[in-house]
Amino acid sequence: MSLFLAEGDPVAPALRGFARVHADLVELNQDPVFLRARDRDPRRIVGLVSGGGSGHEPLHGGFLGRGMLDAVAPGQVFASPHNRQVLEASRAAAGPGGVIHIVKNYTGDRINFGIAAERLRHDGIEVRRVLIDDDLATESAETATGRRGTGATVIVEKLLGAAADEGLGLDELAGLGTRFAAASRSLAVAARAQTSPQTGAPSFELGPDELEYGVGIHGERAAKTITRPPVGELVTRMLDELLAGLPPGPDDLVVLVNGLGGTTQLELYSIFDQVADELPARGLNVRGSQVGTYVPALDMAGFSLTLTRLDPSWDRWWRAPATTPALVVKENR
Amino acid sequence: MTASPVLRRYAAGVDAAHAELTRLDQLSGDGDFGDNLRSGLRRVIDELDRAGTAGHGFDVAGRVFLDDVGGTSGPLFGLLFTELGQALDGSATEATDASGAGSDVAGAVRDVRRWAVGASAGLAAIQRVGEAEVGDCTLVDALVPAVAALEDDGAGAFARAAEAAADGARSTAELRARLGRASYVGDRAKGVADPGAVGVALLFWALAEVEEPGSGVTLPY
Repeated sequence: MSLFLAEGDPVAPALRGFARVHADLVELNQDPVFLRARDRDPRRIVGLVSGGGSGHEPLHGGFLGRGMLDAVAPGQVFASPHNRQVLEASRAAAGPGGVIHIVKNYTGDRINFGIAAERLRHDGIEVRRVLIDDDLATESAETATGRRGTGATVIVEKLLGAAADEGLGLDELAGLGTRFAAASRSLAVAARAQTSPQTGAPSFELGPDELEYGVGIHGERAAKTITRPPVGELVTRMLDELLAGLPPGPDDLVVLVNGLGGTTQLELYSIFDQVADELPARGLNVRGSQVGTYVPALDMAGFSLTLTRLDPSWDRWWRAPATTPALVVKENR
Repeated sequence: MTASPVLRRYAAGVDAAHAELTRLDQLSGDGDFGDNLRSGLRRVIDELDRAGTAGHGFDVAGRVFLDDVGGTSGPLFGLLFTELGQALDGSATEATDASGAGSDVAGAVRDVRRWAVGASAGLAAIQRVGEAEVGDCTLVDALVPAVAALEDDGAGAFARAAEAAADGARSTAELRARLGRASYVGDRAKGVADPGAVGVALLFWALAEVEEPGSGVTLPY
């Protein structure tokens, strides 16, 4: 339960602590606040910048470092960063080939990253955006806002980081990032809301046998509340829907089983075990996997599944080394 | 003439409209728009007084609104001000030489063109970032007709731009928001003009007051 957040500003002391622990990998800039990686592959000519609200740790700062991100702009809890944070993070990270913004699809993030991009262009720094919009639960023709960006962010940041390390240019990377995101879908469920930092109580009420189906990562309710099925049945249903929603493509998949903050590794690894049984039974191959708490919503009790169809030419980027606080890949796993 | 007369008139107009802007934003959003616009402009005027800027001062306004003003609309206004700053005081505007120097008429046409270039570039930046079109019940509804009026230059262009922006702002009261904060409350914001659109229309009101005094433009609220 998020009952031990610092009073006043819960984000600033956590960023300071994070930068102290991982001083070999990241450094913290104040005014405006952003984090940057200390090291990058010398072949990389385009900087990768992400960011968004806090409360989703290790996203995004945990993925700073060689093989992944160059700088990130963290906002307050569940709130978009200010455009000035994104601007200065981007100036610090831009390479001779420019900078890519990896943006989760939320109105505030789109606008603040967009304003920063306008200002960067005024400086003569080239910018492209990769928009992450993987959340199947928000797929609707009725609204103009589109699918939310959630767990696929981690997979896109890993693949794009490795591609950037091969020295690819701005347009190539932006095109690839868009394809990575388009090949990904996620679905999340929660049995208990996150603790509200304001009230110390769950942000919304759920009965003991209820489940929010299609929940987001900002503590908002899902569109549906269902009777909680046994976990095996639940995972099968989620896979059915994900595979129905995933655009056609290669049979090789990367799977992310992600905890939403209040879910244990015992639970997450069991869920992965079932996924790893079921996908081959449907003619699909698990080419890559990541299991853990990567994109939580504070301490929400729940999990998300993300599937990304892996083009054969992307395989080496998934396997390439990465050295970040939250994700370490040794020599070509 | 005092430097940056339009911004000064605009700041005075926003001071007078503060209560109405706040009322509109309380009905459709979180109620801080009047505060943000007023405090941002006051800070701009303070900086202009301190620095003694000779030009229009929109470059300063752009920086203040992009860096220091809260909410989502504040930085969007910053994009417009930045482009106006470039067009009005920058060296890049070709209209200076093209229209010839000398007569007051040529000077006036040149000014309208500079405003048209800056407002049009500001509109483009705001639309790239905010992805809003006319009819989405945002400040774009006031800015698009104002730019069109300026681009159709000639006598009285500033007054026509002010009236077009005011009409555009008023038209947002008839719309249901699809984007922006008012979209969260749906039909409950119907009948309420978008405060951001009113804020943009006030800028063109101030411009007409300064450039074409006595043209009798009406306030947008």
